[in-house]
Amino acid sequence: MRKIAALYGGSSQHFRSLNESKYRRYYEKLIYLPDLERTSLDEFDALVVPSQLHMGLVMKSRDKIREFSERGGIVVAFGPQPREWIPGQNWELRPTNFWWWLDKNAKSGLVLQKPDYDLFSYITLEDATWHQHGVYWPPEGAEVLISTEDGGAVLYVDKVSTAGTWIVTTLDPDFHFGSYFMPATERFLDGFLPWLAEGNV
Amino acid sequence: MNQPTDFLMLDSGCCFGEPRLKDPNYQDFFTFIDVYDLPEHDLSPYKCLVITGLIDQELLYRQKDKIRRFLDEKKVLVFSGNLFLPWLPGGSRFVPKQIRSHADYEVRIAKEHPIFAGVETYDMTYNKGVAGFFVRGHHPLPEGAEVLLTLPGGEPITYIDRTSTKGTILVHAGNDLFGYNHPGKSTGRIAVQLTKWVRDEYRQLQQLQEGGAYV
Repeated sequence: MRKIAALYGGSSQHFRSLNESKYRRYYEKLIYLPDLERTSLDEFDALVVPSQLHMGLVMKSRDKIREFSERGGIVVAFGPQPREWIPGQNWELRPTNFWWWLDKNAKSGLVLQKPDYDLFSYITLEDATWHQHGVYWPPEGAEVLISTEDGGAVLYVDKVSTAGTWIVTTLDPDFHFGSYFMPATERFLDGFLPWLAEGNV
Repeated sequence: MNQPTDFLMLDSGCCFGEPRLKDPNYQDFFTFIDVYDLPEHDLSPYKCLVITGLIDQELLYRQKDKIRRFLDEKKVLVFSGNLFLPWLPGGSRFVPKQIRSHADYEVRIAKEHPIFAGVETYDMTYNKGVAGFFVRGHHPLPEGAEVLLTLPGGEPITYIDRTSTKGTILVHAGNDLFGYNHPGKSTGRIAVQLTKWVRDEYRQLQQLQEGGAYV
C-alpha cells in the first residue's frame, strides 16, 4: 500500500472528509496546511491536496509540492484550483450548472475517455457525476480520463511534466462529502482512495 | 487602514469564499481579514465578528480566548457552519441529520423573529425544488438559548445564545446567512434583516448594565 499524506486546512469539510474512518485508514499522515512548509514529505508516495484550501498557503508551498513530484511522488489535486500551482495548469472557469439533472433528457455532459484505465475498476462514470466548476486543458502527453463533450478535462493524469504523477480533477468530492451533501461524492471517494493506495496509477 | 466598519469577517482564503470579498453590497460596512491575521488583529473597533463554515477551526480553537474576550465586551458573533472544535462559547459539535426523504430537510419556524420576517420556509428549504441547501443538521443547544428555526424533528438549526458570554452569539448550522441577499426569493431579505438585528442587538448590549438593567 502506498504511503499517502493529505493536506488538512482545518475547515469542517476537511475535518470530516479526511477523518471519516473508512478514508482515514488510507492516510499515513494529515498535514495541517500552516505546518506544511516545515514538514518533510520524503517518506510519502502520494500527497492529496483537497478542495477549498487557503490558496495563499498552497501557493507558498508550490515549490515544495513540485519538488515532491520531481522525486517521483504522486500529487492529487481536487478541484477547483483557480490559482496556478500545478505544472502546466490551464484552468478554464465555467459557470456551474447544479441543475442539469432536473432537465428533461438530462445529460451530465461527461465522457469517459479511457474506460480501460485502472481507476475505472474502482469507480464508474456515474460515481464521478455531480457537477463541475470548470475544465482543465492539460499539457500535451497527459492522459485525459474524463472529459466534457467538448474535450475539456474533468480528470487527467500527467506523467510528463515532472518525474512524478499528477492526478488533477475539477471534481470536489471531498468538499461535498465533508458538507454531508451529494451521495455520488461518497461513492467516488470509496473507490478513488483504494485505487490511489493500491491500484495501477 | 480605512475607517473601521461595524462588521469584521474572517476570510478563509479558499476560492468559495472569494465572491464575498468583492461583493459591492458589503464593502461599506464589512472589513475582511485573512483568518491567519486574526491573532494580531485588534478587534476593539468592531461590533460584530462574522465567521463562516469555510474557516480553519483549528486556528479559531487556538484563538478561543480572544474570541471570548471580544464577546465579553458585549459584542455580537454570527457563526454559520458546522462546529467540530470547542472554540465557540456554548457551542456543541454539529450533528448531521439522518435523511430518509427530502421532507426531512424542511425548515420550520420555532419563533417569529425579525431576522426571518417575511421569509417563506419553502424558500429556505427548497432551491429549484431541491431540498438540502439551507441546512443538513443541527448543534445541540446551550442553556437558555432562543431557538429561531428547526428541522421537522425539532432539531434547532438556528439559535441565539445570550447566556454563555456577556455578548450575543447567533449560531446557524448551514451556509453563511449574510449570503442570502439575492432579490427574487424571500430568502433575499435575510442579510439585510440580519444586519439590522446585529446593530440593534449591539446597541442593547451596550446599554445593558451589569445585572441586567438598562441604563
